[in-house]
Amino acid sequence: MNILEVHNLKKYFANQKAVDDISLTIPKGSIFGLLGPNGAGKTTLIRMITGIFYPDAGEIILNGKKFDPENDAKYIGYMPEERGLYKKMKIGEQALYLAQLKGLSKADALHKIKDWFKRLEMDSWWNKKVEDLSKGMGQKLQFVITVLHNPDLIILDEPFSGLDPINANLIKDEIYRLAQNGTTIIFSTHRMEQVEEICNNIVLVNKGKKILDGTVNNVKQGFKENLFSIHLENIPGNISTSSFNVIHTNKQELVVKINDGYKANDVLSHFINNGSNIISFKEILPSLNDIFIKLVEGTPTARQFDTTIA
Amino acid sequence: MHKIFLIIKREFLTRVRKKTFIIGTILFPLLYLALIFGTGYIANKTREDLKIGLIDKSSLFTKEILESVNKYDTSSSLALITTNEEKFIKDFDSLGYDGYVIIPQNFDWQKGLDSPNVLKINTKKSFGAGALNPVERKINMVWNKIKNDSLGLDVKKEAILTKALSLKLNNEKDRTADTEVASIIGYVCGFLMYFILLLYGSQVMMGVTEEKTSRIAEVVVSSVKPFQLMIGKIVGIGMVALTQFLIWIACIFLIYNLTKNTGGSSGAASDIVGKIQHVFTSVNIPLVVGCFIFYLLGGFFFYSSLYAAIGSAINEDMREAQSLSFPITMLVIFSIALMTPAISNPSSSVAVWASIIPFSSPIVMMARIPFGVPNTVPWWQLGLSMALLIAGFMFTTWFAARIYRTGILMYGKKPSWKEMIKWAFIK
Repeated sequence: MNILEVHNLKKYFANQKAVDDISLTIPKGSIFGLLGPNGAGKTTLIRMITGIFYPDAGEIILNGKKFDPENDAKYIGYMPEERGLYKKMKIGEQALYLAQLKGLSKADALHKIKDWFKRLEMDSWWNKKVEDLSKGMGQKLQFVITVLHNPDLIILDEPFSGLDPINANLIKDEIYRLAQNGTTIIFSTHRMEQVEEICNNIVLVNKGKKILDGTVNNVKQGFKENLFSIHLENIPGNISTSSFNVIHTNKQELVVKINDGYKANDVLSHFINNGSNIISFKEILPSLNDIFIKLVEGTPTARQFDTTIA
Repeated sequence: MHKIFLIIKREFLTRVRKKTFIIGTILFPLLYLALIFGTGYIANKTREDLKIGLIDKSSLFTKEILESVNKYDTSSSLALITTNEEKFIKDFDSLGYDGYVIIPQNFDWQKGLDSPNVLKINTKKSFGAGALNPVERKINMVWNKIKNDSLGLDVKKEAILTKALSLKLNNEKDRTADTEVASIIGYVCGFLMYFILLLYGSQVMMGVTEEKTSRIAEVVVSSVKPFQLMIGKIVGIGMVALTQFLIWIACIFLIYNLTKNTGGSSGAASDIVGKIQHVFTSVNIPLVVGCFIFYLLGGFFFYSSLYAAIGSAINEDMREAQSLSFPITMLVIFSIALMTPAISNPSSSVAVWASIIPFSSPIVMMARIPFGVPNTVPWWQLGLSMALLIAGFMFTTWFAARIYRTGILMYGKKPSWKEMIKWAFIK
């Protein structure tokens, strides 16, 4: 069951094609990474999914039905990259107001806010104003407000920016907890190490188009370059074989690239026959960061200056 | 609908609960009154009484006449200088005089001087008309006395001669009409409207800009439509303006009812009471208040939606706000400029058209209504004006909403009016 399906979505602005024919499906309960460089069209895509923009073409299917921004707002929680709250409004009232705008009843909203505030140790904040909070505290509050109404789909745009490691872990644990309870999370970022850690599936967009799609593991497998790292007790002085090339040598470690038609075992047997003592042997998979840079490079800055529509 | 109501409620409550609202509601009328009475008081207080020496070469101006006139009018004093004239002319300031006037020898009691009939007042400082007019008046009083004495007119005969008539308007269709009272109420209504439109209009603008720059707009428009957010803000702030106005009206009625019972008391108090009662009986108060509420809301929606559009287009910089809102503010100021001719002649074609065209109608029509409906303002004019204002604010709201939904999520360079109009009409 897919919670969200996007078919051939397009959004053109006067001077650029912000989203140019993107399709993707997001399975229910997954943690989904939406990746791309600045200005790739991530925010525009998200704004269409959250009903802020109308697409020029294409359709959005939420929970098996055509997305209706007015009535489906309650199923979606969105935390924009640029955090926004009323600075002068009391935190409790603010959370209550925004939850009611999502369609919760007052009593229900109050109950849920108290629950969340207790869990994240924010009880004492109720009568404070946002301007009295530190940046990290503000982030935490914004996260609570985003997930307060138990949405089926949560969209987080750079959720960890500005958070210290302790609070970042707190939020990360909440994200896992929500995912376990069946909530789907879209995670928009260009911080690859977080994606690798958290996400099951990813989509990479660049210049308004989707350029990569799949599970984190499949993507990595797809981009592997048959690199292996071997730790040896003694590196033999002269290594020459047709099965692999040495890319890199560092003290006791060798990085080798296996040539076409050969397998990892051929490398091992070479060293075993050689009499070298093998300490460890493992495959080197490319990091998402490398894949990202490899795919995006060449066209990176082309759109960064077209920032009329952020 | 429920969501708009939530937004209205928030906008209304956060503003009404602020201390500035309570202070403003109480202080504004007090300041207004202080301004009116204060300027009068200061003008009175700072009035300069001149002490003028009179050197009479014609021997017509006698000490007795001067003294009697000085007694009658104490605003400035005239003193006849008979001795040491040369020394006086040289040193009058050190003798405590502000100046002197020489009545020439050829001064004639019938004709005065040969034309031009002008006397010179010699001073060592400059004085304005406010200081010189009483002196001029006084010298003429002295001359009149000389003329009366020469003609043999006694006080009784002089009184007969100076009797004059004044005209008072009696509108046969509307016997209660009082032009003076209507003008005053017209001015008060017009200026009040002007203040409310500008004050609360700019509040809408700043509120929208605040939501945009604090990025809360993006959070909120993922739950509600941009149009709902804009309308909620406008209506909420409009309710604040209306609340403030109703509090003032309630205070005025309280004063009216309190003074009604003490009508019989004596002195200055009863004079003021009489005037207040007179205002209530000579103007159709329920009609004026009713129309004011209509034009307040209509005008507010008309202008504040434009202000909201501007608020959505600008970024943090308040100078951007000023330059973009200048055309809108000019419309309001232009309306107030049209108000004065409309009050001095409420049936002129300028007054009629300015009170029908939507942008100026809230101020100009409110200045005309106290003169009477349907005599000065026929029903068709009032009806047409109201209908056009409703159509007008529906258009500006539609127009503003189209700019707003683009502007609220657009960061970076300040757009020009041309670009904003493009947002409104394309897609």
